[in-house]
Amino acid sequence: MRNRLMFVSSSILVLALAGCGGGGNNTPSLPPAPGGAPSAGGGAAPSATGTVTGKIAFEGTPPPNEKIQMSADPYCQQHNPNATTETVKVSNGGLENVIIYVKNAPAASYPAPSNPVLIDQHDCHYVPHVFTIQTNQPLKIKNSDSTLHNIHAWAEKNMPFNIGQPVQNMETQKSFTTEEMPLPIRCDVHKWMGAFVGVFPHPYHTVSKEGGQYELKLPAGNYEIVAWHEKYGQQTGMVTVADNGKAELNLTFKADAKTSD
Amino acid sequence: MSTVVSSVEKEGENVGLHRFALFTACCTAFLIFVGGLVTSTESGLSVPDWPTTYGWNMFAFPFSKWVGGIFFEHSHRLVASFVGFLTVVLTLWTWFGERRTWVRWLAVAALAAVILQGVLGGLTVLLLLPAPVSTLHACLAQTFFCLVISIALFTSPSWKQGLPLIKSHAESIPLQTLCAATTALIYVQLILGALMRHTNSGLAIPDFPLAFGRIIPPFTSEKIVIHFSHRVGATLVAVMVLWTFSRIARSYSESRLLFRPALAMTILLAIQISLGALTVWTAKAVIPTTAHVATGALVLGTSLLLTLRTFAMMSVRIPAWK
Repeated sequence: MRNRLMFVSSSILVLALAGCGGGGNNTPSLPPAPGGAPSAGGGAAPSATGTVTGKIAFEGTPPPNEKIQMSADPYCQQHNPNATTETVKVSNGGLENVIIYVKNAPAASYPAPSNPVLIDQHDCHYVPHVFTIQTNQPLKIKNSDSTLHNIHAWAEKNMPFNIGQPVQNMETQKSFTTEEMPLPIRCDVHKWMGAFVGVFPHPYHTVSKEGGQYELKLPAGNYEIVAWHEKYGQQTGMVTVADNGKAELNLTFKADAKTSD
Repeated sequence: MSTVVSSVEKEGENVGLHRFALFTACCTAFLIFVGGLVTSTESGLSVPDWPTTYGWNMFAFPFSKWVGGIFFEHSHRLVASFVGFLTVVLTLWTWFGERRTWVRWLAVAALAAVILQGVLGGLTVLLLLPAPVSTLHACLAQTFFCLVISIALFTSPSWKQGLPLIKSHAESIPLQTLCAATTALIYVQLILGALMRHTNSGLAIPDFPLAFGRIIPPFTSEKIVIHFSHRVGATLVAVMVLWTFSRIARSYSESRLLFRPALAMTILLAIQISLGALTVWTAKAVIPTTAHVATGALVLGTSLLLTLRTFAMMSVRIPAWK
């Protein structure tokens, strides 16, 4: 959608510059929400009494994470001399940094949590590298480094932002108003710094931890669960959760699978 | 073949102004290269505020903090400020030191262009690089470059004294028209190039000289259309430049004022096409990509110079049978 808008706007620009006249409305419109998303303004949120646990397994040999050349900034070079990329992080056969979320969450009004989610710029890395947040939940952005960072949210459905944090321990608060998955975050000063956030209008989302383990608290029901990884794309699975019940759903990513690069 | 007729005008010379305009033109060419570096290194948003730099006054921003992408973006801002300053001086100097009213207003136009260019540069940062604004910024850079080259030419002693007139041959398309068409086409080509860069279409067709192994690629995306348009434009520009050069080499080679820029334009074109190929083959490596932008400006500037000279020098036509 954005590319189409860019193309139309840019074509008009070319025609105008070439003396053919013309003009256009460059105001971007919001793309349609993905199917299955709950509508806002429904009834009260159901109690999440059930639990889904599982493992995001990884089959095959994980590609080595490359060493990052940080010589562009002496501070980064000094504080994180052995930094590597975090694209594929495998431990105990499980894939970390996978966003797991419910695709067909019950239509309800989910109040945004007031506790902020923190993303820190620490030793010229984003911590965490992958995280989730609910719409309108505060996002606290912190710079723990004694060097300049800009934090640039490459949002398409939300309002993108690009802010500078030149002072150590500087904090800025932001939030996202619309569901968006995935939403890349980048530092334009340090090309290697990148993170991904999943923004959801409900609380049923998490990120796989060590060993690829995850846990979701859900109301009783049948759910389509999506697992998304920045390199390997997504896997889906169905799960049924009973009231106060426990269910298990394991998903697997393969090393030789087509990547989403 | 060409015949020098006469000098038509003697005017007081202001060599200093001409040299200053020439210096400003050279600095502008350098600025276009530095601006190209910002896009090639994807550093356009590494300084998120404008006109300040991370809250600092732009000129007081500590050198120790010029790290990563900031180095390219901040350097661009400083070089642009310097060119802006030169343009202010050039405008004042022209306004008070030049008798020809139209040249004075041309300098004012250059000043207006550089101010607008600065504002567009700021907007492109504050609006997070929208393609239309970034493309306009790139195109206005070329326009400003043309304005400064024109001022440098019009204030040159040889121009003011009157360039030697040449009798043109009766041709279906007069040389002036041919040169003007070439310049206009190069300008359109540069717009397409800017559009390609700022819509991230530079590798939409990943092979060269073929396109997805074919002459005509499948037009499955807007980016491919933009990219291929630029290649078609390059072919048309090459035809026009070679046509112009062959015409001058054949009929006006005795005029060094025409032959030299025509030759330079042709050589620059060869370099430019090579750089375009390298840009694709190296997957947009920084140096060839940026050099491609800067050389494009030089091709345009040379073509403009040639065009203006042809209009000034060619006034009398010789019938084809003579």
